[in-house]
Amino acid sequence: MLTLHDVQAGYGRTTILHGIHVEVRAGEVVTIVGANGAGKTTTLRTVAGLVRPTAGRITFEGEEIGHLPPHEVVARGITLIPEGRQLFPFMSVRDNLRMGAYTPHARDRMRQTMDEVLDLFPRVREKLEQHAGSLSGGEQQMVAIARGMMARPKLLMFDEPSLGLAPIIVSQVFDVVERIVQTGVTVLLVEQNVFRTLSIADRGYVLENGAIVMNDSGAALLRDDHVRRAYLGI
Amino acid sequence: MDTFVQLVINGLMLGGLFAIISVGLTLIFGIIRLVNFAHGELLMVGMYLTWLGTTQLGLHPYVLAPPVVLALFVVGLLIQRFILQPLLDARDAHVQIFATVGLSTALINLALLVFGADLYATPSSGVRDSIALGPYRILVGQLVMFVCGIAVVAALHLFMERSYLGRAIRATAQHRAAAQLMGVDVKRIYMVTFGIGAACVGLAAVLVAPIYPASPTVGTYFVLTAFVVVVLGGMGSLHGAFIGALIIGLVDSLSGFYIAPDLKEVVIFGLFITILLLRPTGLFGLGRGSE
Amino acid sequence: MSDVTIPATPRPAPRRIDGGTIAIAALLALILLVPLLVGDDFVFHVFITICLYGALATAWNIVGGFAGQLSLGHAIFYGIGAYTAALLVPLGISPWIGMLGGAAVSALVGVGIGLPCFRLRGPFFALATIAFLQVIRLLALHFTGLTGGAVGLMVPLQTGWQWMIFFERWPSLLIAFGLLALTLAVAGYIRHSRFGYYLVATREREPAAAAAGVNTLRIRLAAVAVSAALTSMVGTFHGMYLTFIEPEAMFSLAFSVQIAMFALIGGIGTVFGPLFGTLLVVPLTELARGWLGASALGLHGFVYGTVLVLIVLFLPDGLAGLFRRKATTEASDVEASAPAATAPAEARPARREMGEPILVAEHLNKRFGGLAVTTDVSFSLRQGEVLGIIGPNGAGKTTLFNQISGFLAPQSGVVRVRLAEGGFVTPHSPHGFARAGVGRTFQIVQPFAAMTVLENIMIGAFHRHPGRAEAREKALETAARMGLWAQREVEARSLTIGGLKRLEIARVMAMEPRILLLDEVMAGLNQTDVQRAIRLIEQIRDDGVSVIAIEHVMQAIMALSDRVIVLNSGRVIAEGLPQDVVRDPTVIEAYLGKDFAHAHPA
Repeated sequence: MLTLHDVQAGYGRTTILHGIHVEVRAGEVVTIVGANGAGKTTTLRTVAGLVRPTAGRITFEGEEIGHLPPHEVVARGITLIPEGRQLFPFMSVRDNLRMGAYTPHARDRMRQTMDEVLDLFPRVREKLEQHAGSLSGGEQQMVAIARGMMARPKLLMFDEPSLGLAPIIVSQVFDVVERIVQTGVTVLLVEQNVFRTLSIADRGYVLENGAIVMNDSGAALLRDDHVRRAYLGI
Repeated sequence: MDTFVQLVINGLMLGGLFAIISVGLTLIFGIIRLVNFAHGELLMVGMYLTWLGTTQLGLHPYVLAPPVVLALFVVGLLIQRFILQPLLDARDAHVQIFATVGLSTALINLALLVFGADLYATPSSGVRDSIALGPYRILVGQLVMFVCGIAVVAALHLFMERSYLGRAIRATAQHRAAAQLMGVDVKRIYMVTFGIGAACVGLAAVLVAPIYPASPTVGTYFVLTAFVVVVLGGMGSLHGAFIGALIIGLVDSLSGFYIAPDLKEVVIFGLFITILLLRPTGLFGLGRGSE
Repeated sequence: MSDVTIPATPRPAPRRIDGGTIAIAALLALILLVPLLVGDDFVFHVFITICLYGALATAWNIVGGFAGQLSLGHAIFYGIGAYTAALLVPLGISPWIGMLGGAAVSALVGVGIGLPCFRLRGPFFALATIAFLQVIRLLALHFTGLTGGAVGLMVPLQTGWQWMIFFERWPSLLIAFGLLALTLAVAGYIRHSRFGYYLVATREREPAAAAAGVNTLRIRLAAVAVSAALTSMVGTFHGMYLTFIEPEAMFSLAFSVQIAMFALIGGIGTVFGPLFGTLLVVPLTELARGWLGASALGLHGFVYGTVLVLIVLFLPDGLAGLFRRKATTEASDVEASAPAATAPAEARPARREMGEPILVAEHLNKRFGGLAVTTDVSFSLRQGEVLGIIGPNGAGKTTLFNQISGFLAPQSGVVRVRLAEGGFVTPHSPHGFARAGVGRTFQIVQPFAAMTVLENIMIGAFHRHPGRAEAREKALETAARMGLWAQREVEARSLTIGGLKRLEIARVMAMEPRILLLDEVMAGLNQTDVQRAIRLIEQIRDDGVSVIAIEHVMQAIMALSDRVIVLNSGRVIAEGLPQDVVRDPTVIEAYLGKDFAHAHPA
């Protein structure tokens, strides 16, 4: 579904990704594991069109998307739920969700999607009229995920959904991610909580200093010595 | 007492004009985070266009509103596209200020080159007639400005709150990166926003031209006050700009009479400095002054 | 580029007279000689104008460029200079004295405006300066008794050096040139002194500059005072040269903008940029005037504005950017061959004796709005100790750091720091903490992006070495020690994240702190870099520096800390030896999680 072929990217003169290969097949849950600054977020931002790749190809459903601006990428069916929630703080939760369905394709079916998404997030339904900025961190994360779902994406990318949340909320976030996976959406997940992430992932990539150093099933990576030492602190 | 009421009426009417000019300025700041130092010059351009239309084509100034507004919308769009957009991700946040300052200077002096320093009075066409309201008098043109001021602010407010495009504009202002992730074409949003801001000024130009003569520096005069209005109301706040405009209109009118005509601007700028220093977020602002 | 040559020992670059210096000397000589040789009145006038505008733009650049505060009100000082002298002449006081008097008044006014306004940023500062200019212009118009109001003021026509008015043109040129040379000399001195480095550092990253011990408000005020005084001196002479002054011309917004534009066109922040800008646009305007006829009103402004827009679009660094051909070496990850390579401290010395408390925090409370971020936090750091602080994101670790480095004032509670000579003090500002010997890094690295790596480190080194040469020496030594030797001449912005983290530490270490606060310096580093960073901190500790480290990398915390404090929801929930803390059930619950506990069975 999504293929990154020898992709290089960075900011200004700094190269972060040194030619990485990543593949996500339809219906899969794929995760990228790595230290802070290894290039996980950059990978997602490059796919989303926020960072222009300096070399390599990104294809989605057979189409080259590496040169597309972000709004075109969203229109193709790829949605990134960004690190740190990034809600529109002075808008109501309802308007945030409406913004999630901004692409023409999603806008046509907004009411229906809204109902479906709110069924997944009953707590969000209670907060619809509140300003997004007034919600707690955990609630904001739920709204951010719900907003991402509003686009009816084919591929949903999560960037550190549990970052900065209390452990108990982290567990709720993972429950939600698992529920979303069950709806059949393809997921590309970046998370610092390596243990939990690898447990739900079909496959995982290990990213170090902007290069993929390993690539295996989630379960295999969990058993791997290097992963255990470097990322699980075992 | 009569004098006071008349002064208050004058002040509110003046406030209506300030509101139309300021609303575009605050919109551009609120959405694009850009202080447009060339805003007054857009007003000046609009006023010369109105003068040309009335004197060369013999049209009533108000008839010129649609073409002038449209022309300014396009000018705004082009400025954003070709001057400001390339600077969007510039290293130094100041370069956008430099660009608008340079544009302002170039436009003022271009007008000076083309039209000279003379004043160009647009024919008043009945706009300067006054109507009596009991013992008080209001110029027709002032009343129109006041009504238009309210209408423009209300229309923009509805547009921003209700329409998909308006919501996308607000979303872009609140979180540019997130708006992109929703599928919003941020560059297009910025162009439209600058266009709307310039179009507001175009309307203001049509309304003000029959009352104040056009000159190269007319924009500087009005826009300095508009900056005060916008900072008072809170940079980026539409209704803040409206209320700020009425307050400044009143201050202008009352201090001109009760203090001294040539010191009313000292009062206004004194107020401006005080607000900047004590409450840089203004009355309803998004709060970026001292960030 | 790969041809990075590494000398055997760090030494300051030899002072060489390069082509640039010669070119500029020649340029200045031409400015003086051309009109003297041509002798034409118009040529004299053009060159006097160039000297004056060049001087004004150079003086403006000290505030607008070096300090990065975009003043659009500099005509205030220009006008004050002109009026002070013009009002004193009828009293029989020479304008030379008026020049100094005006400069003093302007410096005071500049400080008076800057003191409240330097809180404002970018466009808001510009707007405030415009407002001040308008107020002063309107007052000058209003108080006709003093200024003559809109009618203006004729300067009494007494000629001779004493009165600064001449029949011939050349003495005026000489004075104008002298003013230009003076402002250039002052600007050049500032740019290459500690003062200038501090100004640029403050412009680039105010928090980082403050942490490096810079009193950011005071240096900005100093900059505006110097700039205002120089502007005022030019104003005095220009008033005498024109022999007629009026508020609309002296306190003109358009003129203020014009001064700034010359500097912007030439390249702000450089010493000679403003002069280049003047040299480009003034003759250009005069030429255009020649083609279009002398009546072309507004032509000069049109040229200035258009050139500025074009420069901003196509030459963002101004004309000076054309001349600066600094090697833009790609940041190479080669970091071998540092002259004094870090000796791996393999054998960890036996647990060292801890000294007396050196930093004591007592009952720190801080709330943001309704949210308590730190609640009754108390701890002490002892001499020679490494104290680790761990806790979940949002536990208040960085807020705590901000309180023990002067960036945030606690609502209640006190932080005391023991000085080298003994005795505790309670500093209240970042530079106060720096002076007391506390250095800190930032979780989100704060490089001065436009400076080279070496210059970044020099900002720290200036703290104890005010002289540029000594600071450079110290910075070179520090760069070598921190593994930044190979990258010392590249711009900081092109470093990798690992390099930036090392630079962050290097800048602090160049301050020679006695207490080092490290905020997540390991975050984002790979295993090799983490190992290297651990050795580096061990070495720092062995040099006698006491360390407090916030860290998520447990491996580093376990290896380095003598003692660990665990913070959760703004409270200290555990404190003790690292091996004890990680077994604490509260800590496992709040921070480490069961996975960690399973992996480290007690």
